[in-house]
Amino acid sequence: VWLQYVAVKHIEARAIDRELKKGSAELLILSLIEYRARHGYEISKLIEQRSEGVLKFNVASFYPLLYRLEGRGLIAGRWVEKAGQRRRRYYKLTPQGKEMLKTQRSTWLNLVNAVRLITEAENA
Amino acid sequence: MPDWSKEIRDVIAALDLPPAREAAVVEELGQHLGDRYDELLMAGVDPEAAYRILMLDLDDEGNLVAGLKATLHTSHQPLPFARYGHGSFVAGIWNDLRYGARLLLKRPGFAFAAIIALTLGIGAVTAIFSVVYGVILSPLPYRDPDRLVAVWSTNHGNRDAATPADFVDWRRENTVFSDLFALSITRVTVSNGEGTELVGAMYTTPGFARILGMPMLLGREFLPEEGEYGKSHVALLSYELWRDSFRSDPGVLGRQVRIDREPYTVVGVLKPAPTERETDRLFMPLAFRPEQITRDAHMLYAQGRLKAGVTLEQANAEMATIARRTAASYPATSKDWGARVEPLHNDFLEDSMKTALYLLLGAVGFVLLIACANVANLLLAQATLRQREIAIRGALGASRGQIFRQFLTESLLLAAIGAGLGVALAWGLLKAVIAIIPQYTLPQDQVIGVQIPVLLFTLGITIFSCLLFGSGPAWQAAHMNSSESMKDGSRSTSRAGGQRMRRALVVGEFALALTLLASGGMAIHSFWNLAHVDLGFRKDHVLTFLLPVSPGQLTQPDTITAFYRPLLEKIGALPGVSAVAAATGIPVYGPALHVPFTIAGQPTGDARSHPSSGLSMVTPGYFQSFGIRMDRGRAITEQDRTGTLRVAVVNESFVKQYLSGLDPVAQRVMIEPPAPSATRPSQPVEWQIVGVYGDVRNRGVRGEERPEIDVPFWQNPWAQPEIAVRTTGDPESVEQSIAAVIRSVDRDLPMAEVETMDQVVDESMGSDRFEAVLFGGFSGVALLLAALGIYSVMAFSVAQKTHEIGVRMALGADRGQVLRLVLRDGMVQALAGLVLGLTGAWFAGRALQNRLFGIGAIDSVALVSVSGVLLGAALLACFVPAWRASKVDPMLALREE
Repeated sequence: VWLQYVAVKHIEARAIDRELKKGSAELLILSLIEYRARHGYEISKLIEQRSEGVLKFNVASFYPLLYRLEGRGLIAGRWVEKAGQRRRRYYKLTPQGKEMLKTQRSTWLNLVNAVRLITEAENA
Repeated sequence: MPDWSKEIRDVIAALDLPPAREAAVVEELGQHLGDRYDELLMAGVDPEAAYRILMLDLDDEGNLVAGLKATLHTSHQPLPFARYGHGSFVAGIWNDLRYGARLLLKRPGFAFAAIIALTLGIGAVTAIFSVVYGVILSPLPYRDPDRLVAVWSTNHGNRDAATPADFVDWRRENTVFSDLFALSITRVTVSNGEGTELVGAMYTTPGFARILGMPMLLGREFLPEEGEYGKSHVALLSYELWRDSFRSDPGVLGRQVRIDREPYTVVGVLKPAPTERETDRLFMPLAFRPEQITRDAHMLYAQGRLKAGVTLEQANAEMATIARRTAASYPATSKDWGARVEPLHNDFLEDSMKTALYLLLGAVGFVLLIACANVANLLLAQATLRQREIAIRGALGASRGQIFRQFLTESLLLAAIGAGLGVALAWGLLKAVIAIIPQYTLPQDQVIGVQIPVLLFTLGITIFSCLLFGSGPAWQAAHMNSSESMKDGSRSTSRAGGQRMRRALVVGEFALALTLLASGGMAIHSFWNLAHVDLGFRKDHVLTFLLPVSPGQLTQPDTITAFYRPLLEKIGALPGVSAVAAATGIPVYGPALHVPFTIAGQPTGDARSHPSSGLSMVTPGYFQSFGIRMDRGRAITEQDRTGTLRVAVVNESFVKQYLSGLDPVAQRVMIEPPAPSATRPSQPVEWQIVGVYGDVRNRGVRGEERPEIDVPFWQNPWAQPEIAVRTTGDPESVEQSIAAVIRSVDRDLPMAEVETMDQVVDESMGSDRFEAVLFGGFSGVALLLAALGIYSVMAFSVAQKTHEIGVRMALGADRGQVLRLVLRDGMVQALAGLVLGLTGAWFAGRALQNRLFGIGAIDSVALVSVSGVLLGAALLACFVPAWRASKVDPMLALREE
């Protein structure tokens, strides 16, 4: 039963994910590392938690995205060793990334506002 | 826990990422999957289900591969702070160069060791190649040098000078030469009114300067009519003679000078010779009286220029035809004679000199190889120390190719610095090499220096050596497993592959070093043998010189005796002189004359089959002056003079070869009395043998003694003997007083070729000394490099094994055991190299065999000594690291972990 639940939930999440990925994924990642460097698993975990499981990235979709951001110079990754832990690759925002985050954030806010205005008016 | 690394590798294998990049991706994704797996288990999912979920996630129907392909493959520039892939290839190399330079500055010890090795290797090769190029390879410094040829008479394949009549025929009948000239080398006295000196001179048919393309500084060359007898008293001066003896007098043309006491008019001055070694200072036309144009005196060197388009084969074919015609027409003199055309280039270079130079080039090639092995070793150690850096570079996106390029660029930088310093070293070394090359063995007109072709060669060997020492370590660096080295923490361990390569290099170095050391050892041993050979005479305290009396000055026995007898008496009476002699041949140089002879009372047979022997005319003081031992009978005395019984003394070799079983002092030899002005053979006369003297080295120090007959000078006087003076003190100190005596007899007669016998013997061993010094010197360098090589490997190995040594000591190993462990490790490599090197030494011995004196191809003395030296050096080089290892504090070593 559990397995079935997980599978259904997984498929549902994937549908939403696909839709939103193109536009939102970059913004999500950039936002999460705006104030502190995080490693890949932490970022993907936070996306899942804060969206209450609606937004979810698997390994196959998440890391290519991360590497692409890195390739474009928006984020920078660095291997960091901490006492008693395996070393991990931490990503932080580059100045270029900060600019990009600012632009994308305002675009998204405008878009979300616009969507809300339309959908709320219909509902009202 | 599933092995995520393996699963990820399987999924992304198709991408064929650079290994370092792949390792980084595997590590990062593996951690992600591991975390997620743990989480699923905590949430109660059973392991197998969790595994399946994550495997679905991982591949996601090919999304991972597609996604990574889009990001990683389209751009190899994932990280902004890694410079890889930015800009052009050249910019990349420039970055690598700058980075390499910074690294060298940060590791001065490594840089110093590598650069010194390369400087020595490249410098030695460049210096010797300069000599090889200058002497053997470079073209003659004349116009169209490829068409210049020498034409020789040949007798049963052996080349000889041409006769005047042959030369006249050749010039008239040939159609292959645009021009041909003949020359004869001699020495003449030249007086310019201020003094008289003996100079090298060339008699040559008019046209030689035009044919060779030697430009005139002043005046003109000989006119064709000046080659006729009676019109030939004109002379050309070399630039050097004009500068030194005529004070660069611009008004020298038309001036009268006395050459061999005959008046000549100066008609021209040549431009400077290509080198200062050129000994021909004065040129006079070669002119024959009709009776001198004969076919039995082989005395002329013929040289010429081939017509354009004529090959050497065509020229040879035509000259053979001409020679056959001559042989048919004049069978008495020319029956067995032919003619041969050879390129003038290197025509006078002795084969032994060529061989010696090529052997030396091989030796310095070995030095360079050893230097390369050393540097490769240092670089391998560096690559190991830089594992983490390489891993990080890989993680930052550097491909294997880029890491390879970076390491190779660093090698190139080292090689370039080594080459620059090497050329400077070669320049200095070349001067030293030229100073010890026996001068007469070098071509007089070939320029030896660090010339453009030499520099191109140096560039070539620099690139070659860079690839040789740089590509192995670069390959190793590019193929290091970066994820492993990063996990490893701070303590880097050397990989087994790298270690094996380093050890193999040390073994190779030792093998090469032993080969070279054996060659050096044999050359030195051979020289030692030569220096200790029994010369048969005393070389100390003897001064020798020649009096260049003119051909027309002393022609009759009476005048010769009248000239030399009082002169020798006066010299003998000088303070500090204990004996004086005149002789037509002195030890080492040997007799000037070789004559056919018979033993009286023995069957004689055909005149052509008579044996021949060296013949010298000597005054009674000869045996005393040279300290030659009489074995039997008596020496030549003052009583042996004109009018008394003709007597002779012979050497031991003569007795062994021709008088074995006979009482030598009861024999008489039949010889034609030599006469300087004789043109026709005279009848043989009897000379009573009165004594036998011990053999004297009379064909150089190296040469075997040959039979020799000495007859009294006063019974058969000769115009131009050598004079030998035995002194009680330094022989050179009496030179001035002897010169004064000679001036008192003839003020225009200079002392020529003044040499002590010590110098004569030294010169005779010049080639051997040259080889001993250079082979010895270069093998010393090889020894040093090999010792440095093993030292660096052992020091590095000890530094890497500090932990292991600490553990051993903590487990109870004492310092002695550690010391022995390290020493054994090093000595095993040295011994392996030694065994391999013995094979090389055997080949080197065979190559050198013909040049060595008194030793065979396997010189056990030299081999044992150099093996001992090499092992000693290895032991010393290993001892320092071994001592350091034994001083390791086990607690400290363990804590480092």
